[in-house]
Amino acid sequence: MKPLVSEVVISSMMKTILILAITLVGVFPAMAKGPSIADIGASSQQIGASGVMWYTTWQTALAEAKRSNRPIFFMSAAAQCSGISGVF
Amino acid sequence: MFAEKEFIELSRKFVCVRLESFESEETQKMVRKLTGGSFANTAFCILAPDGETTLTRTGRGPHMVFRVDGKAIPGSEEAKQSNLVVYEKLEEIAAKYPAKKGDSVNILQDFDSFKQSLNIASSDQRLLVFSVSDSAHLTGLKSTLTDVASDPEVIGRYHFDIAGASDSSWASVIEGVSEKTGIFIIQSGEFGQEGELLTRLELKSNKQAIITALSAANERFAASEQRKEYKKHLMKGRQEGITYEDNMPYGEDRDGDGVIDKKPSRSPRR
Repeated sequence: MKPLVSEVVISSMMKTILILAITLVGVFPAMAKGPSIADIGASSQQIGASGVMWYTTWQTALAEAKRSNRPIFFMSAAAQCSGISGVF
Repeated sequence: MFAEKEFIELSRKFVCVRLESFESEETQKMVRKLTGGSFANTAFCILAPDGETTLTRTGRGPHMVFRVDGKAIPGSEEAKQSNLVVYEKLEEIAAKYPAKKGDSVNILQDFDSFKQSLNIASSDQRLLVFSVSDSAHLTGLKSTLTDVASDPEVIGRYHFDIAGASDSSWASVIEGVSEKTGIFIIQSGEFGQEGELLTRLELKSNKQAIITALSAANERFAASEQRKEYKKHLMKGRQEGITYEDNMPYGEDRDGDGVIDKKPSRSPRR
C-alpha cells in the first residue's frame, strides 16, 4: 500500500531529527573536550610573570574561600603525562 | 586559556584550586563526589565558597563545564572567542559573591609533599619557595610568608611549600643545599624530580627581604628559562626514560564502580 503524503513528510522530518540528534550527541562532547596534544604548544605566558594563584590542597583552598567569600574554581589534573613529569 | 591576561585577572575573583589527580585518596574522593561517583584524571567545576554547593556541572575542561566549544587550537582567534564566552559565564558567577572587605591577606598555599611541589613548580615553570623550620620559628615563619605570598608583586609568580614530616630527604635531590633549615628559593628541573638552590634566607627574614630576594631570583630565572613545548617535552622524557610514580594507581574509573578501570583508554593529559 502506498504511504500518504502526510506520512512521507512525517517520516522525512523524523529522519532529519534523528540525524540532528546523532550529530549533536556525537559531535558536541568531542568539541567540548579541548585541543589534542599535537595542538598544545608552549604557554604564551612570559616566564616569571604573574599567573593564576593556585591553591594546591583542598584544606587551604576551602579556608581561603570561606575567609574571602570567593567562589571556588576547582580543577583536578595530573602533572605528568604517561609517567613523564614536569608538565600539565 | 590559563595563560591569557583576561583569565588571570578574572581568576583573582575566585579561589583557584588545582589538585593533583593521583596524589591522594582524598583528592580522588573529592573528584568522585563532584562527578557522581566516576573518576577522571582531569575534572573542573565551580563551587560556592562553602565548598559544598556546586554552581556548575563537572567537565574535563572549563569549556565543557559551560557547554562551550573548546576544541580550537590554543592561541587562535577561534579559541579566543570561545574563551570569552567562558569568561562571561565566570563573571556572572563572581558577581554573585562579592569579596569580603577588610583583610586582604590570603591563606598561605601548601602542598601535600615536597615531591609534589617540586613537580608542580617545574610544570608551571615557577620558582618554588620551600621552607624548612624548627618548631620555635614555625608560627612566625608562616605569618611572614602569608604576608609575602599576598603581596601584589608576589601573587601568582611562585609556589610556596612548608616542609612536612614526609619531606625529610628533600635536600638529596636539590643541588647546593648545605643548611638544614631556612627559606629555600629553588629552581625545579625540567622534569620536576630534581632542582637547584638559587638562594637561601634565614627563617627570621622579614617580608621585604624575602620579596627582594624573590624578585632577584625570578629575574634571573625568567632570563634563562625557555617555555616548554608539551609534545617535545614528552618526546624528550620518553627518550631519557623519565618515570614518575604517583601515590595512587594511574587510570580512570569511568563506570563509577569504585575501582580504576583495567585498561584506561587514554593517558593522563590536561
